[in-house]
Amino acid sequence: MQTKPNPGFFKRNAPIAGEAEAIENAKNGDPDAFAKLYALHKRRVYTLCLRMLGNVSEAEDMTQEAFLHLFRKLGSFRGESAFSTWLHRLTVNLVLMHLRKKGLQLVSLEETINPSEEDAPKRDFGSRDTMLSGSVDRVTLERAVALLPPGYRMVFVLHDVEGFEHNEIATMLECSTGNSKSQLHKARLKLRELLRESQALQPADSVSEAAR
Amino acid sequence: MKDIASANLDKMTPAEFEEYLPELFESGGGSISKDPRFTNFFKAHPDCAALVSDLEIIAEQAKSLFEPGAGTEPSDAVWSNIASKLKDEPPTSKEN
Repeated sequence: MQTKPNPGFFKRNAPIAGEAEAIENAKNGDPDAFAKLYALHKRRVYTLCLRMLGNVSEAEDMTQEAFLHLFRKLGSFRGESAFSTWLHRLTVNLVLMHLRKKGLQLVSLEETINPSEEDAPKRDFGSRDTMLSGSVDRVTLERAVALLPPGYRMVFVLHDVEGFEHNEIATMLECSTGNSKSQLHKARLKLRELLRESQALQPADSVSEAAR
Repeated sequence: MKDIASANLDKMTPAEFEEYLPELFESGGGSISKDPRFTNFFKAHPDCAALVSDLEIIAEQAKSLFEPGAGTEPSDAVWSNIASKLKDEPPTSKEN
C-alpha cells in the first residue's frame, strides 16, 4: 500500500534556531523574546495574510492582529504541533474571521465563493500543444495565484503552499473534505490556464530559459 | 469523490478521467504520471498525460511559495503598533 507523503510536514515543522528558547522566554513575559518570535515569523505570517487577502493594508492589519493574538495565547502553546503550524493555523482562523465579518461568507464554498462560469477553469480536452513548458518559476506562479478567484486561492494556499490537510481545511472553511478537494483541483486547473496564457505571451527564448 | 479502483480504464474518456483526478491526487501523493496503472491510458490520451504532468508541476512548485519571496515583509509600523499595544497587556491564556 502506498503511503501518502505530507508535502507540508517538513516545511512547517522545520526547526528554527533559537525559537524554542524564545517561546519559553516569551511565555515568561520577556519582551525581547517576543520580539525575536516576531522577527522569526513575521514574513511567513504576513505572506500568508497577503495571499489570503490580496491586499497589503489588510495583510498588515491581520499580521498585527495575529501577533497580538499570539501574545495573548502563547501560554496555551504546549508544543504538540510545530510552533509555526500552530501560529499559521491561528493566523488562518483570524483571517477567516475577518473575512466573515466583512461579509464574505465562507460557510458554503459552493454557494458563495465558487467562481462564476467566467472564472471557472475551462475544459479543453482535444486541444493539443497545451502542456506547460517543463517548469514554472515562483514569480510567475505567485502572480498566477494572485489572479485566482478568492475561493480557489484560499484552498490552494492552505493545501499546496501551507501544507494543511483537506480535513483541516474543511474544518477551517466549514465545508466538506470533498468540497476542499474539488476546489483545490479547480484551483490547479485554473492556475494551469493562467500559466499557459502567461507562457503564450512570453518570447520562446524566455520560456525555455524558465524551464531550465 | 470517485474511486478509480472501480473504473474501466480501457473505456474511460478524458472527461471521465478528470472526475477521478481530485481523489487520485489526494491518494497518489502527486505522482500519477508515473503510476503504471495509467501507462496505456496516457499513451491513448496524451492530453490527459499533459494535464496530469502540468498539475503535478504546479503542486510541486507551490511548495516553494511557503518561504516568502525576497523583500516580502510587513512595514516597520506593524511592529511599532504591536509593541505599543503589548505594553498594556500581559499574556493571560493558559488553556489550549
